[in-house]
Amino acid sequence: MKLFAALAAALALAAVPVPGPDFRDIARQAGLTTSFPNGGEKSKEYIIETTGSGVAFIDYDNDGYLDIFVLSGDGGTNRMYHNDHNGHFTDVTAELGLTSSGWAEGVCAGDYDNDGYTDLFVTYWGQNRLYRNIGGKRFEDVTAKAHLTQDRVRYNTGCAFLDYDGDGRLDLFVANYLKFDFATTPKAGSNPYCFYRGMAVNCGPRGLPFETNLLYHNNGDGTFEDVSVKSGIAKANGHYSLAVLAQDVNDDGRPDIYVVGDQTPATLFINQGDGTFTEEAVMRGVAFDENGRELSGMGLASADYDGDGLLDIFRSDFSDERSLLYRNSGNGQFDDVTMAAGLARNTRFVNWGCAFLDFENSGWKGLVVVNGHVFPEVDRQNIDIHSRDHATLYRNTGKGAFEDITAEAGPAFALRHSARGLAIGDIDNDGTLEILANNQNEPPSLWKRSHPAPGHWLLLRLIGTRSNRSAIGTRVTVAAAGRTPQVDEVRSGGSYLSQSDLRLHFGLGAATRADSIAVRWPSGAKTLLKDVAADQVLTITEQP
Amino acid sequence: MPDTRTARAKVLWGRLLTCGGPQGGTPSTRLLGREETAARASCARQADCGCPLGAAAGCHPAPQGRRHLALLLLLAALPLAAADSLTEQGVAAFQQGRYLEADRLLQDALKADPNDEHARTFLALARAATGHCPEAVADLSDRFQKSANPDLSRLAGLALTQCYIAQEETDKAIPIAGQLAARYPDDADVLYLAARVHMRAFNDATRRMFEKTPASYRVNQLSAEIFETQNKFAEAAAEYRKAIEKNPRALNLHFRLGRAVLLESHSPEALAKAQAEFEAELALNAGDAAAEFQIGQIHNACGRTAEALRHFQKALDLSPDFPEAALAVGRMRVQAKQYAEAIPLLERVVKAQPANEPAHYSLMMAYRNSGQPDKARSEQQVLEKLQRPPEGEFTDFLKRLGEKAPTE
Repeated sequence: MKLFAALAAALALAAVPVPGPDFRDIARQAGLTTSFPNGGEKSKEYIIETTGSGVAFIDYDNDGYLDIFVLSGDGGTNRMYHNDHNGHFTDVTAELGLTSSGWAEGVCAGDYDNDGYTDLFVTYWGQNRLYRNIGGKRFEDVTAKAHLTQDRVRYNTGCAFLDYDGDGRLDLFVANYLKFDFATTPKAGSNPYCFYRGMAVNCGPRGLPFETNLLYHNNGDGTFEDVSVKSGIAKANGHYSLAVLAQDVNDDGRPDIYVVGDQTPATLFINQGDGTFTEEAVMRGVAFDENGRELSGMGLASADYDGDGLLDIFRSDFSDERSLLYRNSGNGQFDDVTMAAGLARNTRFVNWGCAFLDFENSGWKGLVVVNGHVFPEVDRQNIDIHSRDHATLYRNTGKGAFEDITAEAGPAFALRHSARGLAIGDIDNDGTLEILANNQNEPPSLWKRSHPAPGHWLLLRLIGTRSNRSAIGTRVTVAAAGRTPQVDEVRSGGSYLSQSDLRLHFGLGAATRADSIAVRWPSGAKTLLKDVAADQVLTITEQP
Repeated sequence: MPDTRTARAKVLWGRLLTCGGPQGGTPSTRLLGREETAARASCARQADCGCPLGAAAGCHPAPQGRRHLALLLLLAALPLAAADSLTEQGVAAFQQGRYLEADRLLQDALKADPNDEHARTFLALARAATGHCPEAVADLSDRFQKSANPDLSRLAGLALTQCYIAQEETDKAIPIAGQLAARYPDDADVLYLAARVHMRAFNDATRRMFEKTPASYRVNQLSAEIFETQNKFAEAAAEYRKAIEKNPRALNLHFRLGRAVLLESHSPEALAKAQAEFEAELALNAGDAAAEFQIGQIHNACGRTAEALRHFQKALDLSPDFPEAALAVGRMRVQAKQYAEAIPLLERVVKAQPANEPAHYSLMMAYRNSGQPDKARSEQQVLEKLQRPPEGEFTDFLKRLGEKAPTE
């Protein structure tokens, strides 16, 4: 009987039709019409113009619908758009107190004060800003009060909230790219690091001084303490750090920190459980490509792509490099499986924002990557590498590999942008995921399928009590339809300097119920739900 | 390693690509490595680098030659004491660029003492600097070969080489440049001049080829190779196609065409076109291990693991000392958890090529995955050592760039 049930479930899963996702750009009708400046369009004089900015899906007012936050380069302001629940978003930047200036880089979300409202941290070339969410009505810049004022101009990039010491309060990691200032940075073509394919271009990152990453401990009284040195984070020098992935890579219940860097080896800080970290990227197989060579890491994403219960890692890289898929082989050891997974073909893009997403609710997470070159001058070369390019969408075959379905993914995937940040979320709570991207010197993209994803789904909102209230670091395992259980983790930050929906989305294929949902909270507490109906947004609260 | 984005960009596919040159050579030597691509990237942005096609586009050095020579000698001249004697006055005049005055003073000095080595050498240098090479060559040659003073010998050799270049006697300049390079291997002036001599020789040979055999497929082949150095891969591919049309049986043309296609693009269409060219090369020469390897790389990039392994293994069978093929096979065995087969292969590669970073990395991963952590750590240490940037003038220059503190 058991065998019959499993077979029936498998057949039902196989019967789910798989039409093309037909993604359309709905940004204009959604009200996202403002362009976000980010340096030169035809050429870029300085590296600061190239790194661009992130985006975020967050529900800042707890109305159950995702709002949109878009960061701006110099000459514009970051903007918050409120979800009007009807497919339209309204710019509420000024009334929320979020009007800003400067070179915003990254954004990450988390309820650092455990008051029930999601706060925002925005990184800058210049002073970062911590925005405390005041009851979903406005944001207060509490940077100075929180002791997050920096002693010098830093080129802060990716960030993530994480509770590294398990005290129930969110700490903060901030990646730093390099030391930059307009006055001393060499001009295009002025030294050997200021050329690309024979063209004089903006200088760097090579040839510019390194900068160290930062870890701030949450003191629990609204302030943070810089623990970069005593935690061991600052020991790792010699990296041009960009994207951050904070998650438990070795499954020991403690969050670790993986950081990719531009033209330098990636770093993996393994949490020792005593307030310190050790850097172990090389031996764990995530520092380099399969040739043992550093690439230009831009973005990061994580998922259990092969259904073995272990979270794997995807990193987006530069053109003429491969974006890499590292398969987690257990105990936090990874292998570069890019080739075997069919992800080695698209080497003509500079990849940035990236995310795993189950865009068909099949139970297998696909992969989306947005692209765009750092040197607009490349268009003069008349080659197949372009300053603005289309995004790429991969379908997970369910057999440990991906297939590029960009050409069949809908008109949104034919549009060319110089994109940077990317976030994933479900803006209308219908179980079908949307894609948000920040485009340099253009309005953002908001891509939605023209028809709902065919499979069933669950969207899980997790609320910590003993753990941090945002439940960041919580690991969830969903079993359905007799197949290998799916695993995911609540993450702050990620992609390229961006924040995706803090809720976890699981596609269930043809299964109308999840057999079980197992939750492992950062506190160590566990919650187990059985026989849960599909197609709902489910809130799970940690037992106090 | 200037133009680092480009140079680094080619690392990945560099291993897939093969270099030109003669049709001979091992499969490995036909592979385009990081250094060559880096050099090419550098070359592509230097006006006077690899300009044989530019024989018609500004590669004639004669009008510039005299000025270059004068500057070179002026900069490289020896420091001398106060100018009391005629010789010293002549050398001082030479150092200050007053070559005609130097010529007169040094002639007077020689009249007074025909055995004055300094006067004879600097008189020849002054004449060379003023373009009177025919009168200077004999003395320069004599001083270069016989002077016991290494500085004078060096100066004479540099001037002699420049004179031969100016007189369009490249065949005589080449051995002098070679001797200079052997005696002064770290001397920037010597190395610069050697590069100029060889560039000139290349230009001369190319010009003769274009003049004497303009309809030959070799002209198209060489044109294609030159276009490659200029990063004009579409043009290079077009020239290879013309060469193939003229001589369909010639070896290496399909191979080079496949490479040019890949240098132009990595699109799926380009991969398919390149694969067809490598297969065409194999149809002409079934024993071409490098072509087998390339096809394996393309299959691998497309996720066709089994086909990739088959071609890598064939390449290795054809050429057992082909390290890239051994590495590829070893790596795929690691992925398949066949450590007993993978590790000996990888160990063989690192033994043959102790500086092969990808091999050390793959061996490290093989040891790690097979439960040999001590050996893995040992390989990691080797890798770290290899990855340290080499010490040298250019590295120091780049370090200084990196150390510059920005204003805050």
